[in-house]
Amino acid sequence: MAKKIDPITVEIIQSSLQAACDEMFIAMRKTAMSSIIYEVLDFGTAVTDSNGNIAASGAGIPAFIAMCDKAVQAVLKKFDDKDINPGDIFATNDPYNGGVTHLNDVIVVMPVFSGKKRIAWTANIAHWPDLGGMAPGGISADATEIFQEGLQLPVIKLFNQGKPIQSVIDIIISNSRVPQYTKGDMWAAIASIRVGEKRIKDISEKYGRDTFEKSVDLFMEYGENSSLDSLKKLKNGTYYGEDYLDNGKKIQVKVTITNKEFIVDLRNNPVQDTGPNNASYDGTVVSAQMAFKGVTSSDFICNAGTFRPLKVICDEGSMFNPIRPAAQGIYYETDIRSYDLIWKTISHLNPDKSTAGSFASICGTFMGGTHPDTNEPFIIIEPQIGGWGASAAGDGMSANFSAFHGDTFNTPAEIHEARHGLYVNQMRLNNQEGGEGKFNGGKGIIMDYRVRSKNAWVSVAYTRSKTLPWSLNKGREGSANYIEVIRKNKKIEKYSVVTGLGLEPGDIVRIYTGNGGGFGDPKKRNKEMIKSDLLNQYITKEQAKKYYGYKK
Amino acid sequence: MIRVATDVGGTFTDLVYFEIDEKTKKAKKISNAKSDTTPPNYEQGVFKAIKKSGISISEAIFFAHGTTVIINSITERKGSVTGLITTKGFRDSLEIARGDRPDFFNLRYKKPKPFIPRYLRTEVPGRMDFLGKEIEKLQLNDLKKIIKSFKSHNVKSIAICLLHSYANPKHEQVLAKKIKQQWPEFEIVTSSELTREWREYERTNTTALCAYVKPIAKNYLDNLFIELKKYKFKGNPYVMQSNGGIDTFESTKKTPLTIIESGPTSGVLGAAEIGKLIGVKDIIALDIGGTTAKCSLIEDGNVKINTNYWIEKNRTSAGYPVMLPVVDIVEIGNGGGSIAWVDDYKKLHVGPQSAGASPGPVSYGKGGNSITTTDANLYTKRINPSYFCGGEVNADIKSVDKHISTLSKKLKLTKIETARGIIRIANNNMTNALKLISVNKGHDPRDFTLVAFGGGGGMHATSLAMELNIPNVIIPINSAVFSAWGMLMSDLRRDFILTKLNKMDIDSLGSINETFKKMETKAISNFKKEKIHKNLIQFQRYASLRYLGQDHSVEVLLPSGTYDKKELNKILISFHKQYEKEFTYSLDNPVELIQFHLVAVAKIEKPKLEKRKKTGREVREAIKSKRKVDFDQLGERISDIYDFDKLEPNMVFNGPAIVEDSSTTVVVFPGQRCKVDDYANLHINTQKKK
Repeated sequence: MAKKIDPITVEIIQSSLQAACDEMFIAMRKTAMSSIIYEVLDFGTAVTDSNGNIAASGAGIPAFIAMCDKAVQAVLKKFDDKDINPGDIFATNDPYNGGVTHLNDVIVVMPVFSGKKRIAWTANIAHWPDLGGMAPGGISADATEIFQEGLQLPVIKLFNQGKPIQSVIDIIISNSRVPQYTKGDMWAAIASIRVGEKRIKDISEKYGRDTFEKSVDLFMEYGENSSLDSLKKLKNGTYYGEDYLDNGKKIQVKVTITNKEFIVDLRNNPVQDTGPNNASYDGTVVSAQMAFKGVTSSDFICNAGTFRPLKVICDEGSMFNPIRPAAQGIYYETDIRSYDLIWKTISHLNPDKSTAGSFASICGTFMGGTHPDTNEPFIIIEPQIGGWGASAAGDGMSANFSAFHGDTFNTPAEIHEARHGLYVNQMRLNNQEGGEGKFNGGKGIIMDYRVRSKNAWVSVAYTRSKTLPWSLNKGREGSANYIEVIRKNKKIEKYSVVTGLGLEPGDIVRIYTGNGGGFGDPKKRNKEMIKSDLLNQYITKEQAKKYYGYKK
Repeated sequence: MIRVATDVGGTFTDLVYFEIDEKTKKAKKISNAKSDTTPPNYEQGVFKAIKKSGISISEAIFFAHGTTVIINSITERKGSVTGLITTKGFRDSLEIARGDRPDFFNLRYKKPKPFIPRYLRTEVPGRMDFLGKEIEKLQLNDLKKIIKSFKSHNVKSIAICLLHSYANPKHEQVLAKKIKQQWPEFEIVTSSELTREWREYERTNTTALCAYVKPIAKNYLDNLFIELKKYKFKGNPYVMQSNGGIDTFESTKKTPLTIIESGPTSGVLGAAEIGKLIGVKDIIALDIGGTTAKCSLIEDGNVKINTNYWIEKNRTSAGYPVMLPVVDIVEIGNGGGSIAWVDDYKKLHVGPQSAGASPGPVSYGKGGNSITTTDANLYTKRINPSYFCGGEVNADIKSVDKHISTLSKKLKLTKIETARGIIRIANNNMTNALKLISVNKGHDPRDFTLVAFGGGGGMHATSLAMELNIPNVIIPINSAVFSAWGMLMSDLRRDFILTKLNKMDIDSLGSINETFKKMETKAISNFKKEKIHKNLIQFQRYASLRYLGQDHSVEVLLPSGTYDKKELNKILISFHKQYEKEFTYSLDNPVELIQFHLVAVAKIEKPKLEKRKKTGREVREAIKSKRKVDFDQLGERISDIYDFDKLEPNMVFNGPAIVEDSSTTVVVFPGQRCKVDDYANLHINTQKKK
């Protein structure tokens, strides 16, 4: 029996773990080549214990908090201990094999040794902009098999005992349409996990291996206890919820809550999509983890212990747990809808957190072409910001990234214009109707990209374009996510899903993101608030009269 | 002749002055005085401190001023009603911000509220592109209507920020000129006079904040100036800037947001100056105050600045960007007043909540019942219970004991273990912050000297240094009024920053050379307006470089003069090296220059400091008493207590020891050796004797 460790040392080790993850995060952000990493923060970092249980994480996106563990577990499943040595680096992007999301998200992991013993892993997941596939950027709404979505890295070794395996790296780089970016992003990821490895090693050597490992175990116990305590505050029972996809198909969930368990039953959902609108089982688990975290405790502790009470059940071959080789490029719109469905079903259990529905789409927007000033190719890969649901506590928030995003930043118009050779004509709050209530849903945005290059194209795959954000207590539903393409001859085309649509100079791509759902009868909105809405032109006089019954 | 610096802080207004020997030009004596800060009429506190010090301001040849007036009027939302004029299509930029949400699991997150409401955000048509070319004429047909609306809403100050004005400020200038001519009653700030950096939200918010505080700042500096004149001050008064230099009242009044961090900055500058005085160039400056600890890294004598500064940003709020050159400081919520607390799972935390000045730590006996770091330092007897706050306060030991006991029961630890735990956790929080500025950026702490100041600097510095393997710690004399001291040592400094993309290749050499030259000409004419001759100006050039396609860049110090191919290669080599140092790898990708940064410094003649006199006193005569002090894992040790005021050059003594004066406590651990230098700064070697 090891001697008792003092609680102060435990605390210091645990906060040092968090500091190491944050440091890994900063290193990646600063060195990455792609704006989707450094600006959109579409990446995460983590430290796991030696068996791949998440101990601490740093992320720009909450959805990436509990992802890297699956990759470590996949490495442990595939490789014998004798093949896992100091200085090794492994990579996977295979959603069927620890990759969780889609082929663009590459996870690199590295074991941490103290002496001869493996004590931890450091890991990094990030969206690399292009790894081949049928469409630039890898993601195409037309894909029907994963083979069309890019190069698969099925849990492979990238570095052997500190030395790069050059032939593997060469294969990866040469499969990318933007090899310089891919190379830069790869090195950034490696720098990030190496920083973490060094830090964890230092901690372990300073306090002793046993103390380190024991502290990590205690940290997970802490996460578990915190979750169990929050669960006890939720009313036990089984809750059913349903919603509709834009294609008219019904999705449904049954959530069972006891004092010890939180079971998400996603059986009896649509069979896997013939296109890329599928999310792996691991991805679906992440959705459930986020909803679980949202309704229980909103603190920042997130480790393997936190999620021990959570169970997720899915049918094999469904859109939430597809069978290889189903395509998964647009996994994120599937994940956000399963997340949104679970949130809709259980959020009322915690009146301090419950909200109406939000625009609930990543609104992934892809554009490309040749920069008219530099003649270099460019790719835009960006999520959009939109309106959030109102709640009993007040209006929803306007123009923020979806719940899957966190410390994600949009791209400034000035940088867009310089980097991508187009004009951003406007970027304003969405003044369309939708989301009126005693408390209003937050507003989405309207943004214009005016095309300058000759060979440009646009792809989008937005959800919640037909089924609108739900309201609560007699509030009004929110509004839709979609784009308009306004041709030079003023003809307007409208899309929510389109791949590789050709664009001409002078064409405008106008992005609309939805307003969030309202809360409460709009007729009950406070008069002073309506006056202020009018003064600020958030609503028109006609709307004030029509929805709020406001007479001056 | 005297030189005076005053620093208006949250609680106290500090004054430091040198008396200068007319013949030798050496500083004869450094003295200081303290008075209460007097909001909202801050200048009164300044003159109270002057009165208390007994100096005659008419003899002053130099007056430097640091103030929290700007940051206070922002945090208390007490600025003027401000209107915004921006490019058509972008009035919501301030409200949309960047769409980020650091509070991950909170679906009821609220964005920080813009400083200008939507009804005061207006638009005009007209467009520049990113190269600065006009693609649509500026149209001012609506200006009359806009101004009318501003007047009806009592707007006092107007912020103007147009798209791509960093590349070409013409439209902003035309707009500002027109308003000034027709409606001179408004204060105006254009974004291009503040910064020439891209990112419209950050620039708009910076301009909005600057316009928001401009009327107040002008009023304040004018009042201060009138008072100074009343007291027959004949020199030119200066204000401490966030970039580590001072600037004139006139220049500050135009864009007063530049003094937003004047206090913390001058402390870092002071550390750099101490270093110059005693020949130490690589320094980690650490300022431990009541509620926060701030640290900054000084390399080769240079204070680092950056323009990615945010206020009110934390784990639950996105905060507000200030895109101005500010000394690169990492700040964490850990100071003497930080509260120790135990969560539901029996884990001990320290900060970021602070007991503040009122009620303050438990030991102050003013009704505080939350144990703070100061209380833990008292409990371990690192702080002298019978000389608490220089003897001005009777430490309430009984209450400290009682409340530590409450914490210790929750933790199932003994009381002394609890007190040690609080100090260790506070130290660990600070260690993580120190790592962020050092190890994390590729600097080995073993190559640096820790210069610690502020109320808690001496108390924690030696253990932090041991933790990070920093071999030497310096506790400067006057460490409690160090910020004001730093101001006395500063020069006139202006930073000019310009976003302009250039590939780092031979074809761009012409453009790069021309840009720097233009910037230097502009700086010279800028100083000329205030009668500062160009011979006094020294330039330092920096360029932000990155691999083509990246966003974040590395700022590289450049030589002066005109660059040729050879010079270009040298610059590239130093970029690759610096990049690898910070990020562990470098690439053979093409390199891009994204931002020009010119530092223009006009040197101000400064007195040489006089060394502390030696009386031949023996070191043991400086010992005022002995007491048992708890040194954590090293246990309780009987320690010598030294009187800081009695220490003289070349005295050497070993820990365990405590050095005290009325406002400072310095902890010297067993095995550490302390040496007093010529100016009575303490040098503590933390490497254990074998």
